[in-house]
Amino acid sequence: MAYYPEPVARLIDALQKLPGIGPKTAQRLTFFLLKRPADEVTALSDAIARVKAEIVNCSICFNVTEEDPCRLCTDPTRDLRLLCVVEEPNDLLAMERTGQYRGRYHVLLGALSPLDGIGPEDLRVRELLARLEVQPVEEVILATNPNVEGEATAIYLAKLLKPLVARITRIARGLPVGGDLEYADEVTLGKALEGRREMG
Amino acid sequence: MALGESDRLATFYTREFGKVRGVAKSARRPRSRFGGGLELFTQGQLLFFETERSDLARVDSFDIVHPFQAAREDLERLMHGSWVVECLGRLSADRDPSPALYGLLLRTLRALEGPGPPSRAAFCFALRAVDLLGHRLRLDRCMECGKPSPPPARAARLDFAAGGLVCEPCARYGSDGVDLSGGAVAGLRRLRTVSWEEALGASLSPSLEAEMAGALEAQMARLIGQVPRTTRFRTQAGRPLGASR
Ligand SMILES: [Zn+2]
Ligand SMILES: [Zn+2]
Repeated sequence: MAYYPEPVARLIDALQKLPGIGPKTAQRLTFFLLKRPADEVTALSDAIARVKAEIVNCSICFNVTEEDPCRLCTDPTRDLRLLCVVEEPNDLLAMERTGQYRGRYHVLLGALSPLDGIGPEDLRVRELLARLEVQPVEEVILATNPNVEGEATAIYLAKLLKPLVARITRIARGLPVGGDLEYADEVTLGKALEGRREMG
Repeated sequence: MALGESDRLATFYTREFGKVRGVAKSARRPRSRFGGGLELFTQGQLLFFETERSDLARVDSFDIVHPFQAAREDLERLMHGSWVVECLGRLSADRDPSPALYGLLLRTLRALEGPGPPSRAAFCFALRAVDLLGHRLRLDRCMECGKPSPPPARAARLDFAAGGLVCEPCARYGSDGVDLSGGAVAGLRRLRTVSWEEALGASLSPSLEAEMAGALEAQMARLIGQVPRTTRFRTQAGRPLGASR
């Protein structure tokens, strides 16, 4: 690494911090970018800078958005009686793609993970409680991932929300265990939503 | 090796090779051939290949023999089981086989699935694991003056640096260790000698068990070099989460 010019080393270093990118891939990407036309590379760096400058988390549901509150939270046609809890913004998009859900969302921005030391205080759980106290709903649908962390999160939330919500449901087990919600196809996810069952 | 976005890094504890860390290609996709096999607490048959450029193995397949599902569907069980797995994972080196530790892990997971309290299973694991990992503490005599261990009801200090018990007159307070009541010293000595089943089923007062478990947790944290992440999680999950800060 000591032989690269400083700007090259710096980009390799920055790229390596991205998930799923090791030193080899970071080098390959860097030299790929060096060969591309300047305007193309500028467009990429602009896009990166703008996403950080212009995108925020909605202060109500914590989805990523350009305007706060987000469009889903201000849309008057969404059913206020339903609240769907997901781990990440990508999962929200996956639920939207099913076209079967018309309620609102709450994005936790993660899942409980004992092994990673990620506890309730590291997620948007407190905000979920505050939200439900101000604006009660009839049903909370727990659509966390069908893996250990997602299940643990659902179990924890079901217990926590019980005094606040009449009906707490968990999306059906039709989803293959171990996968991520965002990779599930619309049909499977739609069926899982349809077949949700009551918890606790 | 480069991890693709749908790949997973998984850690296994195997009978023949000890700890093996490997990459499972495309394991995040719902219809991956790994299915739910890479979920926490899953016993299975592992097939892996060494890779030349990395200390990570390439996981070819992991066929489920037994998923310890009950251990992950309850938050208490999951927390204690995760602590067990974290301690084992952080205190064992890659490719350092120990069939005894492997057996202990399986017994512990079985106990976590059973009707008993998960805290007891984790405690019994820790009691045996520190011995198997080569950190057995001497509880029969004072590490300083050599006098036999104090009779019941006499307190002593478990001094981690000294490698065992230090009697009250010899104890240097502020040393790296924990104070133990005579009852806890006697309890730890007894539980080390009885069978696994007897240790799991032993009738202990909650305060005595908490004292002994606390000493082992402290020893584990010391061996790991920091408080385990799972302990941090347990503390957080255990305290009330108010709607306002
Ligand atoms: Zn919103
Ligand atoms: Zn002494």
